[in-house]
Amino acid sequence: MMEIDGLAKAFDGVPALVDVALSVRNDEYLTLLGPSGSGKSTLLRLIAGLEQADAGKIRLDGADLTHAPAHLRGLGFVQQKYALFPTMSVADNIAFGLRHRRLAPVSDAAEVARRVARMIDLVGLAGLEGRQIGQLSGGQKQRVSLARTLVTEPKICLLDEPLGALDANLRERMTVELRRIREALGVTFLHVTGNEAEALAMGDRMVVLDAGRVLQVDSPATVYSAPATVRVARFVNAYNLLSGKSSGGRFRRGAHDLPLPPGVGDAAHYALRYDAVAIDEPAAALDDDRASLPATFIASEFLGSRVVYLFRLPDGAVMEVERHLSRFDPIVLRPDEPRRLSWAICDVLAFDAAGTLISNDRLGRAA
Amino acid sequence: MHQLKGLRLVLAAYTALFIAFLYGPFVIMAILSFQQGPEGGPQFPIIAWSLFWYKHVLGIAPPSRVAPLPIGEALTRSLILAFATMVVSTILGTLTAQAFRRRFKGSSFVFYLIILGMMVPGVLLGLGMALVAEQAGIPRTWWGTAFVLHVVYTYPFCFLVMLAIFNRFDASVEEASWSLGVTPATTFRKITFPMIFPGVLSAMLFAFTLSYDEFPRTLFTAGSQVTIPIAIYGTFAVEIHPNLFAFGVLTTLFSFALLTIYGVLMALSVRRAAARSIGLQEEIA
Repeated sequence: MMEIDGLAKAFDGVPALVDVALSVRNDEYLTLLGPSGSGKSTLLRLIAGLEQADAGKIRLDGADLTHAPAHLRGLGFVQQKYALFPTMSVADNIAFGLRHRRLAPVSDAAEVARRVARMIDLVGLAGLEGRQIGQLSGGQKQRVSLARTLVTEPKICLLDEPLGALDANLRERMTVELRRIREALGVTFLHVTGNEAEALAMGDRMVVLDAGRVLQVDSPATVYSAPATVRVARFVNAYNLLSGKSSGGRFRRGAHDLPLPPGVGDAAHYALRYDAVAIDEPAAALDDDRASLPATFIASEFLGSRVVYLFRLPDGAVMEVERHLSRFDPIVLRPDEPRRLSWAICDVLAFDAAGTLISNDRLGRAA
Repeated sequence: MHQLKGLRLVLAAYTALFIAFLYGPFVIMAILSFQQGPEGGPQFPIIAWSLFWYKHVLGIAPPSRVAPLPIGEALTRSLILAFATMVVSTILGTLTAQAFRRRFKGSSFVFYLIILGMMVPGVLLGLGMALVAEQAGIPRTWWGTAFVLHVVYTYPFCFLVMLAIFNRFDASVEEASWSLGVTPATTFRKITFPMIFPGVLSAMLFAFTLSYDEFPRTLFTAGSQVTIPIAIYGTFAVEIHPNLFAFGVLTTLFSFALLTIYGVLMALSVRRAAARSIGLQEEIA
């Protein structure tokens, strides 16, 4: 169990982290989502002891780690670009930490070999033990890097965009592998990523970080269906976000006004999930519990199991609509063809002027 | 097309001239070293081909009016001095470059202070050192005052070489090692040093060769027991005989032999690494 409290760090006066508080539980997969420049790598480096915090505390199982040197923290750090030791073979890379660490080094060669062999099996590198680093593919390097860290049995394994340098196919395989390996060892993973799909798919819980602040810590399902702020909704990359003003239970945006879900007062942002929007004929009748806006078609993108349609609203804003092919047949539209986009009012998420989610009846049920 | 051919001719001529000027002196020296002795001098034409001057250098020629080269002890001194300078300067240069990986207060001042050692004219530095030694009552010796100046001179070269090496060194491997629980000292020994070793070799080569034929600083500070460049210069004062050229050819051959051994060892280790990986790939297949 690691507790981070009030952590702050600035580089040359520019704040990278501002008052970050976070608790990392034992035996969990925690993903940390943030855009580039959000301070996510800085947070990881502070935890690993590769940078010194300006303020705040990092505690691991009660012990204060804030100013402990990196090699005495008992944490693992898997770097983005693998950072393998180029002068050594795969097996020597993996054995390095066991042999040479300051605390509890393993001097018995047979014991080292046994643990290395077990780890090589676990990460699926059998047969490559004697290879030099230059003879490995990207995915294999990733596995060596992971094995090298995990064999030292760290209390928490920090992973800095571990899948960032892999191609899409391999990335999907490693996603499953990482979860399997973690569960086999029962070690906590803190996985930093800029990819929202990765963060949602892999985490037991996920942290959303922006501009050096923690915006939300929740299960991926909650982050996805009830983002705490407008910014989180933007990072999740699943919402159309409209901004405007509200009065009398209606949301005003230019010449249009839209109904708000019951119980929502003063909303400044109106969010609609891509897949909650329907595409209707321009003159289609509208049910009472739905809202709509006229729009013109721009383009569509075929993504295999689903199609994404882009529409332009009269005020120029772009709306994305996602249709899953298991539920709808694809439709063919000409550019600039007028359509009416409609959605159920209860699917709307509203955020106040400060960007915070306003809870409504549906969210109450979900929670 | 025609223009291109003309340009090629010009470039070829330029290259030929370049090579002629680069190796010409050495070729002339090598030819003259086979001059007949002891009557033949360091000029053309060759009276008759002989190995007399080689025998003379090695001390197996019959006694003649030409005094033997005073190289025995001077050569030993020069080699010891160059070796010691190489060790000290390379260690200092590597450690300083390591310090310069992080920016620290006054780092640019310290940088120029170090570089000064190779910028100041050697004659001035040698003379200055001689005067300081005189004032302080320190005897001038090749292993004392001259050694210090050799280090002052070669240390900036080692420092610059290592600075360039560290400049493109990926620090994330060191961070990876620390995160595995390995102390910074062990990390430097086991990870950093093997990776920068080619650079260290270059720094050693620089320090050794610069020290081995250093002249102006040594001239003023070595005292009466001289090094090989000074000893050779001393023989010029009387008369130049082809035995100098024979000596030059022998030392060059010695250097070539060392380089060849180095090259063969490198090629062998590369081939062994390749063989190892091929063997592995066959096992996997």
